[in-house]
Amino acid sequence: MIAVDGLTKVYGRRTALDHASFEVPKGEIFGFVGPNGAGKTTTLRILAALLEPTAGRAFVDGADVIQHPDLVHERLGYMPDFFGVYDQLTASEYLDFYAACYRQPKARRKKIADDLLQLVGLSDRRDQSVDTLSRGLKQRLCLARALVHDPAVLLLDEPASGLDPRARVEMREILKELQTMGKTIVISSHILPELTELCSMIGIIDQGRIRATGPVQDVIQQLTVGRRLRITVLGQKEEAVAVLKPLPSIREATTVNGAVEAAYEGDEATAASILQTLMAAGIKVSGFNQLEGGLEDAFLKATSEDVG
Amino acid sequence: MSRIAVAFWNPIVAKEYRSRMRTWRSPLAMTVYILLLGGLGWAIFSAMAASTRSAFNQGQAASFGQGLFVYLILFQMVLLAFITPALTAGAISSERERQTIDLLFVTKLPSFSILWGKLLASMSFVLLLLLLSVPIFSLVFLFGGIELDQLVAAFLVTAVAALTLGIIGLACSTAFPRTLQATVAAYGAAFVLLAGSLLFGLLFPTDYDPTATRAPAPPAVSYLSPLLPLITIGTNGPVTWYGVRNSQNAFASAACSSGPSGSSCVPLGPNGVPIGKGFVRTPPQATGTTIPSGLFTGWQYWQATVTMQLVISLAGLILSAVLLPPIRHLPWHRRVTG
Repeated sequence: MIAVDGLTKVYGRRTALDHASFEVPKGEIFGFVGPNGAGKTTTLRILAALLEPTAGRAFVDGADVIQHPDLVHERLGYMPDFFGVYDQLTASEYLDFYAACYRQPKARRKKIADDLLQLVGLSDRRDQSVDTLSRGLKQRLCLARALVHDPAVLLLDEPASGLDPRARVEMREILKELQTMGKTIVISSHILPELTELCSMIGIIDQGRIRATGPVQDVIQQLTVGRRLRITVLGQKEEAVAVLKPLPSIREATTVNGAVEAAYEGDEATAASILQTLMAAGIKVSGFNQLEGGLEDAFLKATSEDVG
Repeated sequence: MSRIAVAFWNPIVAKEYRSRMRTWRSPLAMTVYILLLGGLGWAIFSAMAASTRSAFNQGQAASFGQGLFVYLILFQMVLLAFITPALTAGAISSERERQTIDLLFVTKLPSFSILWGKLLASMSFVLLLLLLSVPIFSLVFLFGGIELDQLVAAFLVTAVAALTLGIIGLACSTAFPRTLQATVAAYGAAFVLLAGSLLFGLLFPTDYDPTATRAPAPPAVSYLSPLLPLITIGTNGPVTWYGVRNSQNAFASAACSSGPSGSSCVPLGPNGVPIGKGFVRTPPQATGTTIPSGLFTGWQYWQATVTMQLVISLAGLILSAVLLPPIRHLPWHRRVTG
């Protein structure tokens, strides 16, 4: 649905985007994560045919963003990281205006505006002036605006930034509903955990380079190379550490709060073989847990490799 | 939708009308405009009434009517020169500042539609002001001295000048990132157009050529100003007092003496000795409202002004249309693919 191939954007001497490539299949919610200034907005603006790449190609629903920006605009709803509202217009007039800009016939525009206001939960605010809406409501109205021409693809730049937790949850519900409607959605954010619950795929970008991309679980696994185990044993803590330490997959083993914690490199199979080794050595294991989390740490690590 | 409907389909216009007319600024601007124009008319009217003890004759009435008309039409032009740049100088740059311009670019609205939609919306307001001033101008017909075709020509010149100022404002708004810069540039351009061009005529007037067979005319640059044709339309007479200089150089090589049948000039040689028999002729005088000589010989002043301004407008529109799109597809602009 979205294909980005070797996309590069150079501003003067600064390379904002360096041969970025990724693909988003139809119906996925793709989380585009990276620190501020990593190149997320640049990528989205190129995809929206608002910015010309220095090199590389990008396609939205098969349409080349350079060759056929008009086709891209037809198939894509774009929500930038600012509100962009006009004074002196009510919420329904605002949607009606953009529907008209997308050449929706006059007869259908009222229904489009009503349906979208209902979708984003603003039906009771339809006659309220746009500039008096709260931040969260404006954000929802802008999402509705990106949908007036019923696009197959949605590009949302930092949709959750500046929203309170309640507004975030509401935004998430709306996005889930859009996914069930079959839309392909790209969401950018600088906060990884915010996206892992919502997205089916993520791409991590830093300093203009794509660091990792794929289904959420794969990327998390890729990032969390060093995992931790918490092993509870019956009294034989020192022996357990002695057994673990010589193993090639174990990087570190210590006793922490009455249990053994071990950092290892590898996957589920490695963990299983570690358990087998302990059992074979006669250690009485009563608990064997993978320690969750470290996602944010892993993300920070992934996005700061070049900095140090 | 039919092709014609698509070409004229422009939601910007309706949106601009709506948001413009919902603020208190528009009715205020209209009120102030009418008060200023009406106030000037009333002041001139009372001055005339005070200066005339008894009923004046038809000729006096006509010249009062003319005077009133010239003052009003010039004042209206100056007022519009203050209003129009403000209407369009923020058209594009304020969309940029509000960050709504990208939202328009991602729609199916062509960039050029954004431009002419903004222009049409602003110019409609100017047209509204012009229509509002019609009752004040109808005062002039109480006195006579002004024909309907003069009124129409003067309004045409005013409207075209306002359109030109509007397009210049729009071009500034497209070229400059900030509304403040665009507004300053637009007012600067308006000043150059109205007053700078007239100043040019004062600084670099046409030299009086005694051997010319046609009457001298101000330099062509000065026709850029709508004020000049508005005066010729109002007074229904030639421009003899502006933009022409009795050159000392021209006369240094000729000895002239005034006679009852005009001036008699004898060309002088290097030693100051008259050459030949000389000639006697009346220096050509400009008559009517046509331009007697120069680039626009035989044209009416207002025709020259309207033509020059329409050319500027076209150039301004083309410039804006080239500058506005986020990705410019210029013929000399080749993209490197890699």
